[in-house]
Amino acid sequence: MSPESEGGGRSGGPGESPGVPIHLRPARDGDVPALVPLLLRLKRLNEEFDPLLKVRDDADQQAKQVLKADIANPKAVVLAAEGVGADKDKVVGFVRALVRERPFYAPEHEGVILDIYLLPIYRRRGVGEYVLRETSNALKAKGAAVVTAEFPSQNEIASRFYTKRGFRPITEVQARSL
Amino acid sequence: MAQSVSAPVERERTARQKAREAAAAERSEDQTDLLGERSLELSRYFGGKIETVPKVPVRSLADFALWYTPGVARVSRAIRADPESAFDLTGRWNTIAIVTDGSRVLGLGDIGPRAALPVMEGKALLFKFLGGVDAIPIPIQVSSPDQFIATVEAMAPAFGGVNLEDIASPKCFGILEELQKRLPIPVWHDDQLGTAAATVAGLLNALELTHRSVREVRTVLLGAGAANLVTARLLLELGHPAHQLTLVDQKGVLHADREDLDELELRNPWKYKIALRTNGGGRTGDLAAALDGADVLLAASTPNPDTIRPEHVRSMAKDPIVFALANPVPEIWPDVARSAGAAIVATGRSDFPNQVNNSLIFPAVFRGVLDARARSIPDEVVLAAAKELARGAARKGLTAQHLLPTMEEPEVFPQIAAAVGDTAVRLGIARRKLSHDEFLDRATTLMGRSGQLVRALARARLTPPMPRAPARRRRTR
Repeated sequence: MSPESEGGGRSGGPGESPGVPIHLRPARDGDVPALVPLLLRLKRLNEEFDPLLKVRDDADQQAKQVLKADIANPKAVVLAAEGVGADKDKVVGFVRALVRERPFYAPEHEGVILDIYLLPIYRRRGVGEYVLRETSNALKAKGAAVVTAEFPSQNEIASRFYTKRGFRPITEVQARSL
Repeated sequence: MAQSVSAPVERERTARQKAREAAAAERSEDQTDLLGERSLELSRYFGGKIETVPKVPVRSLADFALWYTPGVARVSRAIRADPESAFDLTGRWNTIAIVTDGSRVLGLGDIGPRAALPVMEGKALLFKFLGGVDAIPIPIQVSSPDQFIATVEAMAPAFGGVNLEDIASPKCFGILEELQKRLPIPVWHDDQLGTAAATVAGLLNALELTHRSVREVRTVLLGAGAANLVTARLLLELGHPAHQLTLVDQKGVLHADREDLDELELRNPWKYKIALRTNGGGRTGDLAAALDGADVLLAASTPNPDTIRPEHVRSMAKDPIVFALANPVPEIWPDVARSAGAAIVATGRSDFPNQVNNSLIFPAVFRGVLDARARSIPDEVVLAAAKELARGAARKGLTAQHLLPTMEEPEVFPQIAAAVGDTAVRLGIARRKLSHDEFLDRATTLMGRSGQLVRALARARLTPPMPRAPARRRRTR
């Protein structure tokens, strides 16, 4: 079940939640040019947190390929966020997530949220909630029974966002240069 | 960019005008050098600027049985039983802490707490002399905002208020917000609130003079540091339309689509919030793009007289209002701004008309909140002080050259203190509810007493007279 098949929203369209200034739908190939700059904004923000998250020079090429591949990948969830009203048809954010297998742990399938990005003026109360709910539903529809989120350890805003919504740290990733 | 516009304008500025500006800049630098030398000598001669002085008679050592043990134990028991009685039984009612970590001192930058002490002593002297407030300079060595907050919270029992001073932006916002939340006494950061209140006061009068309302103008703020972010907030609280407010920083117009906004959300949420609320027209680009057609320019950026160009002023609406508040050198020289059409110009300097000076605000604000024994200091109080300062100038006659009272018009200070006291009572944050006249009388007495004290100490030779300044040759350049 994808957010689109859920229906139930207002006349603004499926996947829309009352009072939320965006509308989520599965991303299409044609969205890639609009998604690339958003993905890069997110990665460049991550650069702030650690020198080992330095963005590569060819990141925009990579972004294009990764997005295209994920949109085609049945194990991936890529949602585009559109504005409503005057901003309808304008891509203002996106989510990228992946269903991974866990060979040793139960439940077997984990939905990993890799990227969530919304342009600042669309980050209103309730929007994050809505995006997380829609993403979780899409991951669940692809067989995931647990949802996780990856982000830089120093990103306190992300950390607070997930903790407030019942997430807890389960795996720690540490790094050093070689 | 305005490249093509600026070239002919550059030629337009006469050589004489340029020479005059250069001379003014040099004069100001020379004078600053001389004052610095003298200040250093005097600091050495007097060994600092303030000391504690008894306020009770001591007839003989026997009196210490009252002032100190055993008598004082009864006073301590009384405060233990009723903590609020400390405001009656000790000097807490009139004592504030001036706290800094020395991370942004004057134009000197991060010089640390030790080097910040002479500045804090000077501030304490101003508090006493102008406001009758006993202010204790406390520069602290801390390594994080959390440690700063914990330290101030730990020392709060001794004080009726806290004045934060010279703390770098943006950490000053978080420190102020958190301390205001935690402490049952007013906490003030002068670089934010004092400067913003004085700016708003000047602006209200400038608008009055040019028959405009804060509810209809378009305003550009140049610089998005401690003062201007609070000025923006106060203007919004006064009903300035958010979409007609535009902030400009080193990166240009602050707008919601700017690439660095995600970083701002993390590092400077106060600026981030303002970015989302303001700049309704969706302007992007530099100062010129923001200013086109604006009524008001409030600059609190970096000292450089070429920051605001004459063509910038010319592109503004009719009767533009220009505040160039950088010190020691304004963002545009006042005569340059006026010849480019500015109707009203203000700076941060005392040698030009219309000095926007936080010393017009902070002594009176603290006099007012201390007399009301206020629990906090919300923006309503700040705005009450700003409006009363504006009225003070109006009472003497408002002109383009007399926008704000000068430091030579001390009668306005007790009025501001009374307005602050009244507002604290109205908001229900006053521990002591005096009438307007009582606040006014009390402020007049306590503020006047400091001058008497200084003169009496000098007459009795308890403060030595100023030593003669050594003859100095004017430095050749």
